Amino acid sequence: MNNFTLVRKNLTRNKLRLFLNCFAIFIAFLLFGALGAIKNAFDAGVELSADDRLVTVNKINFTQPLPLAYVNKIRTLEGVKDVTWANWFGGYYQEPKNQLMTFAVDPESYFEVYDDVVVDEQELENWKKDRQGILIGERIANARGWKVGDRIPVSSNIFSKHDGSSTWDFNISGIVRPENPQTDTSYTLIHYKYFMETQIWGGDWIGWIPLTTQNPELNEEVSRAVDKMFANSPAETETSTEAQFSKAFVEQMGDIGFIIMSVVMAAFFTILLIVGNSMWQSIKERTSEIAVLKTLGFTAEKVFAMVLAESFLLAALGGILGLGGAWLSIKAITPMTQSILPALVLGHQVFISGLMFIAILGFVTGIVPAWQAMKLNTIEALSRR
Amino acid sequence: MSNELLFDLKNIEKRFVRGRESISIFDGLNITIKKGTFVSIMGPSGSGKTTLLNMLGGVDRPTSGEILFEGQAIQNLGEGELAKWRARHVGFIFQFYNLMPMLNAEKNVELPLLLKNLSKAQRNKSVETALKLVGLSDRARHLPKELSGGQQQRVAIARAIVSDPDLLLCDEPTGDLDRTTATEILETLQLLNKEFGKTIVMVTHDPVAASFANVSLHLDKGQFIEQQSSEAVA
Amino acid sequence: MGSLFAQISAVVKMNLLSLPKRVGSSLTTLLAVAIVVTVLLAFMAMGQGFQKTMAGSGSEDVAIMLRGGSAAELNSGLGGDVYTNVSSSPGIAKDENGPIISGELYVVVDGVKKSSQTEANLPLRGIGPAGFSLRKNISLIDGRMFEEGKTEIIVGTSILSQFSGFELGSKMKFGATEWTVVGVFDAGGSVFGSELLTDVRTLQAQFNRGNSYQSIRVRLDGPEAIQKIRDFIESDPRLNLDVMTEQAYYSDQSRDMGRLVYMGWGLAIFMALGALAGALNTMYTSVEAKAVEIATLRAIGFKGISAFFGTLVESLVLAIIGGVLGTLIAFLLFDGISTSTMGGSFTQVVFDFNVSADAFKSGIILAVIIGLVGGFFPAWRASRMPLLKAFSS
Ligand SMILES: Nc1ncnc2c1ncn2[C@@H]1O[C@H](COP(=O)(O)OP(=O)(O)OP(=O)(O)O)[C@@H](O)[C@H]1O
Ligand SMILES: [Mg+2]
Repeated sequence: MNNFTLVRKNLTRNKLRLFLNCFAIFIAFLLFGALGAIKNAFDAGVELSADDRLVTVNKINFTQPLPLAYVNKIRTLEGVKDVTWANWFGGYYQEPKNQLMTFAVDPESYFEVYDDVVVDEQELENWKKDRQGILIGERIANARGWKVGDRIPVSSNIFSKHDGSSTWDFNISGIVRPENPQTDTSYTLIHYKYFMETQIWGGDWIGWIPLTTQNPELNEEVSRAVDKMFANSPAETETSTEAQFSKAFVEQMGDIGFIIMSVVMAAFFTILLIVGNSMWQSIKERTSEIAVLKTLGFTAEKVFAMVLAESFLLAALGGILGLGGAWLSIKAITPMTQSILPALVLGHQVFISGLMFIAILGFVTGIVPAWQAMKLNTIEALSRR
Repeated sequence: MSNELLFDLKNIEKRFVRGRESISIFDGLNITIKKGTFVSIMGPSGSGKTTLLNMLGGVDRPTSGEILFEGQAIQNLGEGELAKWRARHVGFIFQFYNLMPMLNAEKNVELPLLLKNLSKAQRNKSVETALKLVGLSDRARHLPKELSGGQQQRVAIARAIVSDPDLLLCDEPTGDLDRTTATEILETLQLLNKEFGKTIVMVTHDPVAASFANVSLHLDKGQFIEQQSSEAVA
Repeated sequence: MGSLFAQISAVVKMNLLSLPKRVGSSLTTLLAVAIVVTVLLAFMAMGQGFQKTMAGSGSEDVAIMLRGGSAAELNSGLGGDVYTNVSSSPGIAKDENGPIISGELYVVVDGVKKSSQTEANLPLRGIGPAGFSLRKNISLIDGRMFEEGKTEIIVGTSILSQFSGFELGSKMKFGATEWTVVGVFDAGGSVFGSELLTDVRTLQAQFNRGNSYQSIRVRLDGPEAIQKIRDFIESDPRLNLDVMTEQAYYSDQSRDMGRLVYMGWGLAIFMALGALAGALNTMYTSVEAKAVEIATLRAIGFKGISAFFGTLVESLVLAIIGGVLGTLIAFLLFDGISTSTMGGSFTQVVFDFNVSADAFKSGIILAVIIGLVGGFFPAWRASRMPLLKAFSS
């Protein structure tokens, strides 16, 4: 036996109470982990955006098109490194509810700007050669079980082909893999040229222009230069960093981060009340035992530390189980949420902040009882029988 | 029995202040206790027996006066120092045993040893010895609730002696027990006193219990009014 | 010993009177339940607020037509010839100007959200001459109507409340042209209030949309009218249109946000499990604390069931007070808060949180369930309290 045994025995003496407290903490951290992962998934676009990447869109709104000619004009600007362009295809697979985020892009320049994803060299070559080729993100490949060489029909809910149908057939040429596992790869890429030639509303219009700067410090200068170049033209532009753009987009849903944090805090506060009260209760019931420990020669500090250790142990027990549960449930639901929340993973930041919260919970619920135990008047406690 | 003094209490005053009221329990108490004596203290309820015992054990302090333990004043020691002092020198035995309900007999006995730097083997040995001494080796793995009152008290005695203190303080150790069991407990205490030289101070209401001691004191209104043996008192 | 009822009420009274003695743990349960109910109601208020806005938008006697299979206006596109053809369909109400019909088209433009200062999508919708009067509960409250052929806009009050830059008289540039806000309209809290309206021909011209539309709205001339229109479309091979009442269209659009209510329930149930653990803890402690009293009552002849009900009622009372507190907090905190989110048209819909009577009921039901379950097991223990407890100190 050692001091830890004593702490453990104290914690486990009332099995029912231990179970109930653990369960309450478990629930709180399950919510914490799961909601934290969801919040991160929403923030992923902002956090993982490259700091030297800008997006130029139509000033009216990003759904309005820009002339293709802008791309070459932007290339000439000082401070600009690489420029590419993309078009929204509005794709779905077989049924409109199976959304398949599909961009029509320029095969030559796309990966110069998006250098945080990689495609096998051979696969990339094949894609460039095959006009009907499609690159699919790793997440989609995993979720749908598609392999290189498969032929898939992709429909558009915006565009139609000359023959009136709105379904295109593509050959999977390769898989787009992320360098950072949280980077979103739940999209597919098709040839801009092929798309333009086959759909009916012709014209050299593009959706948006991603570009990189030579140095993140030049971001502001470059975006001002771009927007100035097209000022007072029929298609004025608005250039912002990828992070700003993603943030504004997420904000359109509402303040999701705030809502999630509020729920987590509410759950956390509830559990704080419950566990704090229970710890307080159990120390109150133990006054005479604590007094005996003190007569045995246990110092006040030691008693203090033991009670605090108990509450930490309780918080850790329930909390780690809860985080583990959250990890499992997130893993279980990812196949279903692939299309809505592609970046849903319980990352290590959530774990680390979870551990921090466990420590906070342990401290807050234990500090008052520990203090009481430390200050306990031995004589009164012993005569109170 | 040596002639060295274990305790020398000088001019002890003890007052309890509750609001505006002030109750004086001791007003100039003097007493010495020699090493190796078995002292029993009797007296009416409220006479201050427990209070005295608490002061001897360093859980309570006198309002004024000095408590010398082996010549060293303990009344002014800090809480932490007192705790260490208790761990080294004092074993407590209570009327209601006060065992930790979630620990078995063996672990209850081991408890004071956690405060010492001992190896696991050393601890186990001490625990075994202590339990054997109180005759409970076969109940080592039992929880308090699985033991009778007398057995629980013997575990408490084992716990009090396991760290080999010089002094055992017992507050009505047989108050909750029947005559036969009480006798067994008292014989154990006597044995500890005679064979192991422990100084024992025992508060009791039971004259039969008091007769096991070699010095019997009677406390009334804060003073020892009757001395059956002059040996204990200077 | 009196009747069972008298026994039970005596024990219930005893238990309730002893509540203040355990203020700490009683308050804990109460607050835990209150928080859980607040969370549930917050989500319900959000979901139901959105649904209320959508439901308030649709009219039974207006039909909306989209390209076949497009499901939402966003994906729909109709040529000018479709508009011409369909306007001769039977079932469309007529007035002195002919059939009441409005060909419509919207483009997404940016507005700055006041709350976050970020840009958000707003619909700049072009409507036909009949378009304004086709909308339910809509009225111009300031300024005047836009004039046909001019780049003039009227703006909904919901937009004014949540987005900056659209005040009466303000000007903005979309592409090369400047637009002026000439009027403000109120749409009675419906989704129409989250739109900027202008003349459809002007919009087509300014945004190079030729003579195309996304949707066609018509006033129906009777309950059979929608079928007549469908038959008409069926008979014309050039027409491929989905027809539905406006009401059906908008209630369909609100379905996604309705999920918020389920999400609220999901979260609340999880949190309720946590609160339940707290309630059980509190009640077991309470039973433990009263063990001697309970056993003594049993010893003098009270039935176990009176102890059972005493404990159950105690738990219920705590939970219900908590539930009421939670609904009050939710009401004070959330009811009427205005916010906006992305709607089915890929544009912002402004709506108000709405703590409905229905939500109140749900909150109280949840509280009662926590109270019942949280009280049942401890009550069971109380009812089987060994009589011996009465004699042990
Ligand atoms: N913390 C306290 N505050 C006030 N008065 C106290 C306190 N502790 C003890 N007393 C008083 O001191 C007196 C002595 O108490 P003590 O517990 O020492 O008596 P005792 O001799 O052990 O009695 P008993 O035989 O009943 O155990 C009593 O009158 C008691 O009321
Ligand atoms: Mg006493």
